Amino acid sequence: MASADKLINTDVPEKDVFALHFLQSLSNLRTQSPLNSPNKSIDRVRKIKKAAYVSMARAAGGTSRLWSRALLRRAAKDDNKSVRFSRRKRKVTWKISSKRKRSNQRAPVVEEAAERLRNLVPGGGGMETSKLMEETAHYIKCLSMQVKVMQCLVDGLSQK
Amino acid sequence: MLEGLVSQESLSLNSMDMSVLERLKWVHQQQQQLQQVVSHSSNNSPELLQILQFHGSNNDELLESSFSQFQMLGSGFGPNYNMGFGPPHECISRTSSCHMEPVDTMEVLLKTGEETRAIALKNKRKPEVKTREEQKTEKKIKVEAETESSMKGKSNMGNTEASSDTSKETSKGASENQKLDYIHVRARRGQATDRHSLAERARREKISKKMKYLQDIVPGCNKVTGKAGMLDEIINYVQCLQRQVEFLSMKLAVLNPELELAVEDVSVKQFQAYFANVVASKQSIMVDVPLFPLDQQGSLDLSAINPNQTTSIEAPSASWETQSQSLYNTSSLGFHY
Repeated sequence: MASADKLINTDVPEKDVFALHFLQSLSNLRTQSPLNSPNKSIDRVRKIKKAAYVSMARAAGGTSRLWSRALLRRAAKDDNKSVRFSRRKRKVTWKISSKRKRSNQRAPVVEEAAERLRNLVPGGGGMETSKLMEETAHYIKCLSMQVKVMQCLVDGLSQK
Repeated sequence: MLEGLVSQESLSLNSMDMSVLERLKWVHQQQQQLQQVVSHSSNNSPELLQILQFHGSNNDELLESSFSQFQMLGSGFGPNYNMGFGPPHECISRTSSCHMEPVDTMEVLLKTGEETRAIALKNKRKPEVKTREEQKTEKKIKVEAETESSMKGKSNMGNTEASSDTSKETSKGASENQKLDYIHVRARRGQATDRHSLAERARREKISKKMKYLQDIVPGCNKVTGKAGMLDEIINYVQCLQRQVEFLSMKLAVLNPELELAVEDVSVKQFQAYFANVVASKQSIMVDVPLFPLDQQGSLDLSAINPNQTTSIEAPSASWETQSQSLYNTSSLGFHY
């Protein structure tokens, strides 16, 4: 839908950007704890997964997207690092509850699904349903891109 | 008397903006004068009597009937002309115009009759127009109510009034095409027009638009119809993708320890430098060609790079080709084929 594309900006950078970021994060992983060499595979898996998400968030546009921002914040909280955000109009979470009070006529079917989506998509808790849809679209695009990159990486490694 | 009649007639017929009252007065005067003419005439022709009877009837039909009667008169007097029907013929010829032939009188009568008919029709049109305008005002009020309810406090009355001055269709278009900061929603037939429901509808339309967009992105969403099914599909898809990421990261973790041993600090630094170089130079990334079988190659989006990164971004003079070759040679990471 060409007209919808103009309304909703879900431009996702090319695969290269994702690859770049992912490889960078992987190299950072290696530099982080080369000596420890954690044998527990779960930790490593978790680390790699986190690196994948963080790199995806960075590649997708840093702090310009709500979900990426929330992702980065979540990751930084785990590492006890601080994430720098640009000064923006921050949507507060209580806004949704006040809107809900006003009219309970919002389609319950849509709202149920929106709740589930909010649990899945990072940063979905503070968003209106329409905004949530936009973020979901962008998130899906970025996720698919990241999956492709990782798949290629795995293929490259496994073939060797 | 007749000359006065002629002058009055010419005056009245020339000025078409005459009010109804004035026209009626003129008609009455004509009646009176005709009656006088008839009384003066020697023969009380049946046509004249009919005219008088007709004149007593409804005034709206008066002019049309008078037209027909004039026609009859003309036809009646035409053949009678030769019979010496002097005074009426004279008066009729004088009412139409001075010194005209009987044949011409017919035409002139017709013309005057047409004018009177036009006037009559105009009289009829006026009430019609009035009712139409009333309808317009009704719709005007409706439009105003709708737009008012769709507005969120901004005074839009001036605009709606201005638009209502135009015809019905243009008023519709004007109210829809008004470029304001607010979204215009037209209430459909039988739906509430209060502010909340309109806002609700606008919101729902926005959401459905975005859902359609999502439908295009998520594969396999076209088969399922209805919002619930589509949303379920979308949620499924997101979950699938997340699971895939986890799975692939597991795979990488399995594969990675094989490489970690091979990784040297030097190569890592080279790797970082390589990346830094690629970042600094705004060339298209061909790096993935030797490294990965990625399909797309494009220019790097520098804006995506987070400035919080630890790696220093410096632009070495060496071209990236040599660096990629060095990477090839080291083959520390084993990414290439």
